[in-house]
Amino acid sequence: MKKVGKFNVLQHDLVPEHHVVPKKDEDKVLSEIGIARDLLPKISRSDPAIKALEEIHGPLESGTIIKIIRKSPTVGYSVYYRAISSEVFK
Amino acid sequence: MPSIIFKDTKKNIEAIAKKAPVAYAVDADIKPGITEAYVTFDKKMFTYRLRISAVDEYKEESSAIPKKKTGLKSTLTVESVESLDPVPISQFRKGKKKLVEFKDFEEVELPKIKVVEKATYLDTLSDEVKEIIAFAHKKKIELSVSLAEELARYRGSMKEKQFEELLSRVGKDLESKRIDPFEAVGIIAAQSIGEPGTQMTMRTFHFAGVREMNVTLGLPRLIEIVDARRIPSTPSMTVYLKPEFENSEDIVMNVVKELENTTVIDVADIVTDITQMLLTIKPDQAKMSERLVNHSDLLDALAKMKGITVISDADSKDIAVKPQQESFKRLYQIQEQLKTLTIKGVPGIKRAIARVDQATKSWVLYTQGSNLKEVLEIDEIDANRTFTNDIIEIAQVLGIEAARNAIYEESLRTLSEQGLEVDQRHLMLVADMMTFGGSVRAVGRQGISGRKSSVLARAAFEITTKHLLRAGLLGEVDPLTGVAENIIVGQPITLGTGAVNLVYRAFSK
Repeated sequence: MKKVGKFNVLQHDLVPEHHVVPKKDEDKVLSEIGIARDLLPKISRSDPAIKALEEIHGPLESGTIIKIIRKSPTVGYSVYYRAISSEVFK
Repeated sequence: MPSIIFKDTKKNIEAIAKKAPVAYAVDADIKPGITEAYVTFDKKMFTYRLRISAVDEYKEESSAIPKKKTGLKSTLTVESVESLDPVPISQFRKGKKKLVEFKDFEEVELPKIKVVEKATYLDTLSDEVKEIIAFAHKKKIELSVSLAEELARYRGSMKEKQFEELLSRVGKDLESKRIDPFEAVGIIAAQSIGEPGTQMTMRTFHFAGVREMNVTLGLPRLIEIVDARRIPSTPSMTVYLKPEFENSEDIVMNVVKELENTTVIDVADIVTDITQMLLTIKPDQAKMSERLVNHSDLLDALAKMKGITVISDADSKDIAVKPQQESFKRLYQIQEQLKTLTIKGVPGIKRAIARVDQATKSWVLYTQGSNLKEVLEIDEIDANRTFTNDIIEIAQVLGIEAARNAIYEESLRTLSEQGLEVDQRHLMLVADMMTFGGSVRAVGRQGISGRKSSVLARAAFEITTKHLLRAGLLGEVDPLTGVAENIIVGQPITLGTGAVNLVYRAFSK
């Protein structure tokens, strides 16, 4: 299902930056934060932000790591990682 | 990009999708140059998009899939069929105007945006701040942006050596303020939110109103956030307008009118006459003008209803409605349908109030009821700032990360409105815990605590027998890695020094 609309989820103030981590950098990221891929926080395949990213990058496999850069009131910005899960929430 | 819209049957579309690319014969003259067609099944929502590469005149002997048996005029070469998230008819434009009524094979435009990623936040930092972060990184100090910005202000008035000294002291201070490994941050957060929370119970439990609107505040609201309720008790939206419309009262009032969902019962009385099988709608002028509805709006809305005959007099304001099928059951059904018939507005928005924000001197709308998805598609509003207090809705429309931010901001606001100061980091922890699984999860039995991996921890929390019985049946294994289960079995808990194993090497080489 493709979304057609005038509204871009990624630009909303509540939505932090989402970036797709390239396949070749994934291992580097995982060893840097010292965690296995399946223990990363999840983001659903059906998440609006993921759907928007798919419009830019094409289909994303589950397991792909998404780098999220949040604006944080305490430290300015913080980096967070989520892995795409195949779970779909209604 | 020129597009057309038409109504079709699911069977036809599935047949095309199976064979695409394929020729498709339709019963209308279509201008060449059309590249897209949007298909609807019910004249309201459009669910398929066809990509069209060529438009030709229809020829008898062609092998095209026919839309109908007779009256075929043109052939479209369909490249592909895409299934869409339903697009309402109001999103299409003809010329510059919104499409109101569906007409088969009408040429329309669908305004589209190009989806782009947000500008990288790090690029917006000044060069000096970036340089300081890089410099500190070399000295193995991980500076936060806020600290680097602070340091940048002092840098000018300092000698290079002094600055290095300052930086190294900042580094040492940061190191000492770090949370220790295996510190029980969850317990600390629970305590830090819970303790001021008790103060709140004494002071609130009643509503505070914004003019004619009530919003749940205080402890009930906090419970609502943490419980991740599907629908909050007072859903409400804050709608911002695009900067160019923010100061024009006329446009603001029009948006209010567009937002408020007005039904027939809101502006008129319905009188049922059983003897004549007639329903009379008696519009209330005062209510009509308050809701900015006029007589023709009412008639337009009635025209969309099926199975009724509308009789309206030119000299009387009253409108008579007669069911086409004469039965009391039908009469009753129509009366019920009339009550909830939307004249205009966004479904779910009961009321919208415009106020001038004192700080920025521009108009902001507050609504009772929430429908983020549809409000964001309205032209005049600023879709990037508009938000709702319904966290589940945010998760559905904007994604899990937005929901995480919403949980944090809503809980912080609820607490600070009560004059309670809770460190932001505790609230961030709660927000992160609630969203780490990809969906918004409640704290408690149904959510985080109820889904712990350890059987003993779950059994110790709530519904002990259920968890123990289930674990016994399924043969669950408890590796005793958490806190609760270790207390139960009488071992040191896996926190602080209890989490560290020491190995003593008696003799060195």
